Amino acid sequence: MRYCARYRRRYLAGYACLLTGTTLSLTIPWTIKQAIESLERDAATAALGTFVAAIVALAIFNGLARLGSRFAIIGAAQRVEFDVRNDLYASMQGFSPATIAERGTGELMTRASSDVSAVKQLVGFGGLSLVSTTFAYGGAIAAMLAVDPWLTLWAMSPYPVLILLAKRFNAAVHDRTEAQQEQLGVVSSVVQEHIAGISVVRAYAMERRAEAVFDAANAEFLRRSLALGRVEAQFSPLMSLIAGVGILVVLWAGGRAVLEGRITLGALVAFNGYLAYLAWPTLALGWTLSIVRRGLTSMGRIQELLTRTPPPPAPAETVPGTPDIRFEGLTFAYGERAPVLRDVSFEVRSGETVAIVGPTGSGKSTLGHLLARLWEPPPGTVFLGGRDVRALDRGTLRASIGFVPQEAFLFSRSILENVTLGRDDVPAEIARQAADASGIAAEVDEFPQGFATVVGERGLTVSGGQRQRLALARALAGGPSVLVLDDVFASVDAAKEEEIVANLAREVAGRTVLLMTHRLRAARAASRVIVLVEGRIVEQGAHDELLRAGGVYARLWRIQQLEEEIARA
Amino acid sequence: MPDVHDDGEGALGRAFDRRLVGRLWGAARAHHRLIYGSLLLFPLIAALELAQPYLLKVAIDEHILRGDWAGLTRVAGVYVVVLAALYALRMAEAYLMHVTGQRVMHDLRATLFAHVVRLDARFFDRTPVGRLMTRVLYDAEAVSDAFTSGLSAIVADVVTLAGVVAIMLWMDWHLALVTFSIVPVLAVAAGYFRLRARDAYRTVRRRLARLNGFLQESLQGMAVVQLFAREAHERERFHELNASYRRALFGSTIFEATLYSSVEAIGAIAVALLLWYGGAQIAAGTLTFGALVAFLQYTNRFFLPIRDLGAKYTVMQAAMASAERIFELLDERPAITSPAVAPRGGETTSVTFDRVWFAYDTRARFWRDDTWVLRECSFEVAPGEHVAIVGATGEGKSTCARLLNRSYDVSRGRVLVGGLDVREWDLERLRRHVGLIFQDTVLFTGSVEANLRLGATADGHGPSRLGDGGAVDAATLERAVRMANASTFIEALPGRFDAPLSERGANISYGQRQLLAIARALVYNPAILVLDEATSSVDPESEALIQDAMKRLLAGRTTITIAHRLATVHGADRILVLHRGRVHEAGTHADLVRHGGLYARLWELQTSR
Repeated sequence: MRYCARYRRRYLAGYACLLTGTTLSLTIPWTIKQAIESLERDAATAALGTFVAAIVALAIFNGLARLGSRFAIIGAAQRVEFDVRNDLYASMQGFSPATIAERGTGELMTRASSDVSAVKQLVGFGGLSLVSTTFAYGGAIAAMLAVDPWLTLWAMSPYPVLILLAKRFNAAVHDRTEAQQEQLGVVSSVVQEHIAGISVVRAYAMERRAEAVFDAANAEFLRRSLALGRVEAQFSPLMSLIAGVGILVVLWAGGRAVLEGRITLGALVAFNGYLAYLAWPTLALGWTLSIVRRGLTSMGRIQELLTRTPPPPAPAETVPGTPDIRFEGLTFAYGERAPVLRDVSFEVRSGETVAIVGPTGSGKSTLGHLLARLWEPPPGTVFLGGRDVRALDRGTLRASIGFVPQEAFLFSRSILENVTLGRDDVPAEIARQAADASGIAAEVDEFPQGFATVVGERGLTVSGGQRQRLALARALAGGPSVLVLDDVFASVDAAKEEEIVANLAREVAGRTVLLMTHRLRAARAASRVIVLVEGRIVEQGAHDELLRAGGVYARLWRIQQLEEEIARA
Repeated sequence: MPDVHDDGEGALGRAFDRRLVGRLWGAARAHHRLIYGSLLLFPLIAALELAQPYLLKVAIDEHILRGDWAGLTRVAGVYVVVLAALYALRMAEAYLMHVTGQRVMHDLRATLFAHVVRLDARFFDRTPVGRLMTRVLYDAEAVSDAFTSGLSAIVADVVTLAGVVAIMLWMDWHLALVTFSIVPVLAVAAGYFRLRARDAYRTVRRRLARLNGFLQESLQGMAVVQLFAREAHERERFHELNASYRRALFGSTIFEATLYSSVEAIGAIAVALLLWYGGAQIAAGTLTFGALVAFLQYTNRFFLPIRDLGAKYTVMQAAMASAERIFELLDERPAITSPAVAPRGGETTSVTFDRVWFAYDTRARFWRDDTWVLRECSFEVAPGEHVAIVGATGEGKSTCARLLNRSYDVSRGRVLVGGLDVREWDLERLRRHVGLIFQDTVLFTGSVEANLRLGATADGHGPSRLGDGGAVDAATLERAVRMANASTFIEALPGRFDAPLSERGANISYGQRQLLAIARALVYNPAILVLDEATSSVDPESEALIQDAMKRLLAGRTTITIAHRLATVHGADRILVLHRGRVHEAGTHADLVRHGGLYARLWELQTSR
């Protein structure tokens, strides 16, 4: 709980206020006792005014103390929430896209919202009411002992049972809460992906199917919630039963003591007052414990995501010059799955353009992911400018590489912001030039507010091809010395491709370029072509060499040629 | 649950809105017996609760002060019975409330989800995914809270309050009035702080929504942020939103805490008043000790519900606001529905576009043509014919596909399938008749097999009998997978057809996802097939195999291929070139090349280098 330690002064002040408030409010039953005793002694001469004034003063100061304790503790808890959420966000920034997809956006959102707020409850209200319950018990027991130790013993007799029950309850609630939260994540994912994929749901008329999937998840959630409810429903009535038994015992045993003249009626009333004072914290104990439990469960779930390593710092500098790229004996697998790359070695010399071609799933994209360290390559396998990428600062590495992924992503911000991404070294003119080179500038100018047009969920919808060209502009704008293009022409038609490639030829000059593509025509522009099949390099060389070699590349080329010939016939 | 994209609609209205409560009551129809059951328990519980201080009074006045030990034991015996009954009743009540709330939430979520998946494409164009998520997850929960801890607790409190007031007046109305004299102060304090807290809470919700919206998008676009090393920049933006949320939260805490503390202080002051006045009464001999003690306890029970009423009021406000948004969504009628009476027929597989006008912007005007995607677009596809639609980006090729399965309705003109206007078709029947494979492959979490089956029935046509998982046998699946050239990679997956796919199929490659989508369409087996650039990212080798398999499969099936790359459409019987929203040229590849028009130019571009 290093987060709380940061605000220890607030917490200390808050708990000091809480202690003061508890003391003050425990003095009220004692004052009532004095008042009743004085009434018992001689009703006519009792100085009631003094007692009444004392109670009013106690009440007001108690109110102020409680106010102070809430401000301090809840305020601190909100700061903790702020810090935890910031750190969680920073950690998520370190997740690879594959990790995010695997965990599910909905699931991660739940952690950053529900779980973080459960932790806030834990270190705020939860802690507050736990400590205040402890103070209340400690104070009330001390006060009762001062009035009559024997009766205190009687009054407290049911409470050991309470502790035992609370323990059992705690364990049961913990397990069931966790099960319920987990299922909430499932429900959330089902909703998310069906709404995101609504066009498919519609096209396949699978509404009923979607409903069935959702109903199953929803029903399971209900089942787990009810399992949790069955435990929770027992607890609070039990607590009030125990508090009631305390009062009963005091009434019976204490009544007898009054009857025998061992204690005063005022003492009995005070006892009742103290037990009544304990009734609320006891009742709320179930609620408090469930907040604590939920908070601890959530803390665990958050801790699991919080990485030890600090998030990558802002880019310090880029790798100097025009670095070369080298893969050396690279074998790589995503997690436990079969390797997608096997013993891949090749080099892209400084300023050279190398194309990677190969069938679907041959590991083309993976090469880019490893170079940019979206996935961590094994040590000593991937080099940029002669240095192992793992030894390079991530910021430096990525600032040096302009990477255009296969699936372009735009933020719900203006086009300009989408291109600059808030980079200080990318002023508007550079962004415009980049957009020009990517063949998108003219189209952007036709948008309602030009480069200031907001795109995405709340703004203008742009086509897949436009998205991809904006992503290209985004990469070019940074003026990187290395360019990695991962099949970026997939959703662009021939005319557009022609235009972009013509523009790109200028941009590519003086850069090291790694071009992944399945269009062999695009690959022909490269000085060298590497053919990947099932993660292995099967051929490499210039386009003409490969054609002469008559291997896989030649076959792929022939297929494309054949298609065109058939069509031409 | 994450509350995303709620800007400007985090408004909290009244805690009670008769119309809304009425609808909610209707929505909980199935659980009325549960609700009545728990409502019945409240007066019993309240009565037993209020009996306790009275028993105390009886014990003091009639037994303790009179030295009657046997009588005291009898009272204690009654007390035991009261406690035991209370325990049982409270447990029953708590569980009933919980069950009610959870069932209401379950039903609301199911209703919402079923409703949402049937809304039309335009609705999704203008509604962010996050907002719908909030409705189904967060808002449904907020409404269920109204049943679990809002409405019922308020009823319970009101019953208890009424009981306390009645019993106090009955025991000693002078003393009761003394206690109540503090109520106006209480009401003013509570009213003022509650209002301020509500305003503050509204801000909190709005800022939380903004924060979560940002977070959601960040997660989706994390790769971009990482690749451009913009983590620090994004973090700064996030910190700003987070800080503004924290400030708003603290603002609402100020009012909540002040309210809580002042109610508690006022409660203690009421006790002081009671002691002051009651003490004098005892001195005068008009009040017994027992009655004073009982009053002290009743006063406690009087303030407890009032103090917590605040918290419950907040629950109710949140619930009402959520209910309003939920009903607003449920009131959203899909603009595209099946006609009341769908004529049969249309079994043939011809497709006709008859002078179709279409714009995504519903405010498009005929005299301003820059928003029109299709303008006076007409063409015909004969049964069994394979037609390719080509054209530059943004010329409305995909739009044709969306009009065909009635994702959208035409602005003017008609789209006919099997000679019948698509608007006269039963929607589900139409969509089983016309199958689409998309540009963006959407896969769902679940096994490979579940993704292949999606909405399939045995014959592929006719009304769905789904919910039963589809009547596709294993052989059909195997055949479809083979034809789509997907068997090689599926065989390599651990568990083959049972292999799990993660969100959006992120654990297989882009091309593999497309192969699966093709296989899925083959399983679906529609009479008319529309391929929307489905093969744009598959390598030439697999593409050739697919084309080959398709050729065999498409024999006799009406097919419309929408493609950017002209090389992929050579198998088509006829090619339509879309330009400026209408069919600019049509004919076979050879005709079009000979014709030397737009198509010839496109072709030249693609083949010249």
